[in-house]
Amino acid sequence: MRMQLLHLYWNEFRKRQKKTSLITFAIAWGALSLLLLMSFGRGLSNAGSVSFKGLGSTMIMLTRGQTSKPYQGLPRARRIHIHMEDLELLKRQIPGIAMISPEANNSHNISYRGKESNRSVNGVYPCFAEMRSQIPAAGGRFINDLDQEKARRVAFIGWNVAKELFGDSNPVGKEIRIEQTPFTVIGVMKKKQQSSMYQGPDSETVYIPFSTFCQIDFQRFLDRIHIRPADPRDALFMENQVRRVLGRKYRFADDDANAVNFWNTIRDYETGAKIFKGIEIFLSIIGALTLLIGAVGVTNLMYAVVKERTREIGIKMALGARRRHIVMQFFLETFAIFFKGTLWGTLIAFNIVSLVNLVPIGYEDFGIKAYLLRPIFSLDILIVFLVVLCVLVFVSGIFPALRASRQNPIEALRYE
Amino acid sequence: MIEFRNISKVYKMGEVEFVALKGVFITVQKGDFISIMGPSGSGKSTLMNIIGCLDTPSEGSYYLEGKNVSGLTFDQLSTIRNRKVGFVFQNFNLLPYASAYENIELPMLFNGKKGAERKARVDELLEMVGLAPWAKHRPTEMSGGQQQRVAIARALAMDPPIILADEPTGNLDSKSGHEIMEIFSQLWKGGRTILMVTHDPAIAAFSKSTIRLLDGAVQANGIPN
Ligand SMILES: Nc1ncnc2c1ncn2[C@@H]1O[C@H](COP(=O)(O)OP(=O)(O)O)[C@@H](O)[C@H]1O
Ligand SMILES: [Mg+2]
Repeated sequence: MRMQLLHLYWNEFRKRQKKTSLITFAIAWGALSLLLLMSFGRGLSNAGSVSFKGLGSTMIMLTRGQTSKPYQGLPRARRIHIHMEDLELLKRQIPGIAMISPEANNSHNISYRGKESNRSVNGVYPCFAEMRSQIPAAGGRFINDLDQEKARRVAFIGWNVAKELFGDSNPVGKEIRIEQTPFTVIGVMKKKQQSSMYQGPDSETVYIPFSTFCQIDFQRFLDRIHIRPADPRDALFMENQVRRVLGRKYRFADDDANAVNFWNTIRDYETGAKIFKGIEIFLSIIGALTLLIGAVGVTNLMYAVVKERTREIGIKMALGARRRHIVMQFFLETFAIFFKGTLWGTLIAFNIVSLVNLVPIGYEDFGIKAYLLRPIFSLDILIVFLVVLCVLVFVSGIFPALRASRQNPIEALRYE
Repeated sequence: MIEFRNISKVYKMGEVEFVALKGVFITVQKGDFISIMGPSGSGKSTLMNIIGCLDTPSEGSYYLEGKNVSGLTFDQLSTIRNRKVGFVFQNFNLLPYASAYENIELPMLFNGKKGAERKARVDELLEMVGLAPWAKHRPTEMSGGQQQRVAIARALAMDPPIILADEPTGNLDSKSGHEIMEIFSQLWKGGRTILMVTHDPAIAAFSKSTIRLLDGAVQANGIPN
């Protein structure tokens, strides 16, 4: 294709550009919708997985249950409790456990210089911090192995507990009382987004070494056991192994789903991620449909343009234009309309996304803000966008262009 | 050079068939200058269009430079239209959004001629039809006579051996018409084969011989002028 020919086509296009402004707007609108819906959908997905990880990312949580079927002559509806010894049993019998921690909790009175509050106090192992995404804020730390070994009276507190007892001053190093026993605060939990929980948000909880907990609050049973498999892909397998090992000890069937209860965050996370991905794809499709409406408009316009220029097409054919010369002209016009519209749409979309990202969101804004105010453009979004665009340009451009090129030259020249 | 063997053309408009040409035999030699005359609707334009490969016959064979043209693809016919014939129409048929220069250049663009070669040719043709100062003007800024001269220059761009002119002076006053005919005479003397449709005997007088059509059939052939 010669440059001069492109130049001529460009002039012929430009002279009629006023008629294309409405449709250019439709394309800009469609491109804008598609880009925004994709990037907001991705932001939603991200917020979903970030706050999901607030509970803990790769862990299986085990709690007591009740048998749902008879087993070896024993009736159904027996309560099954879990005990501290089970921890050792599981560790011994199941290879591939990377971390394991007991958890026992009770509600206790907490006080600091006359300020009092009733809070859940939980006894855990040091590795609990990693499984449950508990990061100490600067200047503090979580419970360590020595604390556990020596049953030290130390406490790691949620940020809301800290706020209530200490206001804005730094709690680390201060002495609080749990019931009447003094405890030193060793760390405050860094703020995090948490969408799921079992007894209240971590921000409202006090954590102490499991050994210390046993001294202040005697309990026969454990409330929970947290396990992290060495390989997250083993999550379901490990769940079944745990059930089998405990089933032998407490005598319940291997396939009794309720004898002990599992909260498998790995599996939940995967399901959750799939749901969010589904929403993201759904939003993208809506965006693509908006752009499709614009594309249908372009096709219509191009059919009208072809009709309007029938005579010019005839003239070109009489002068020796081949089919591809005609096809190319109308295809390029479609491309030009899309290009202009998309350019505008993309510019506006980028600006909106950058502006929205400037809105600050706090850690307590778990809900709507975190999900809606962090849209993202990533390479794969742009690639999807370009692919959708190319397909639409091709489909909406090719049919009018082919019609133009298939006209009978005589009919075209006689057209008034 | 041009040979029609029993050419017929039937137009179908829904159920109705209209016979525009029936059983036409004609032969045109290289260097002929022939007028085609006949009443309106007698098939003159249809004949010209078939000769120029813009239209295809319903029946019969058409030999152009000894080669049968029927059965060629659209692009092959485009190549013939581009290289073998130059069209001049009654209503000029210039592209409205292209300058005189660009209109003349167009046939060469479809053929992929080199830039320098194109420029030289367009300048030469503008000079020949006396419109060098009008190169940058659009058709709407020119008189009918000037537009037709641009159209002739455009028809000559690829240096085709055959010129087909369908009532080239039909929309012009007699002075401009005669100027156009002067150019055709020059072209004929330069060795080109010219076929021209006209109603006007004074215009036909420029040509060497005349073919008369009536109701799609050749009524008289080779009447010398
Ligand atoms: N594309 C067409 N479809 C239908 N009828 C046509 C078509 N082209 C020409 N005709 C008819 O064929 C007849 C001959 O047309 P034409 O060759 O243009 O005549 P002339 O040029 O001698 O006036 C006319 O009656 C015209 O109506
Ligand atoms: Mg006619």
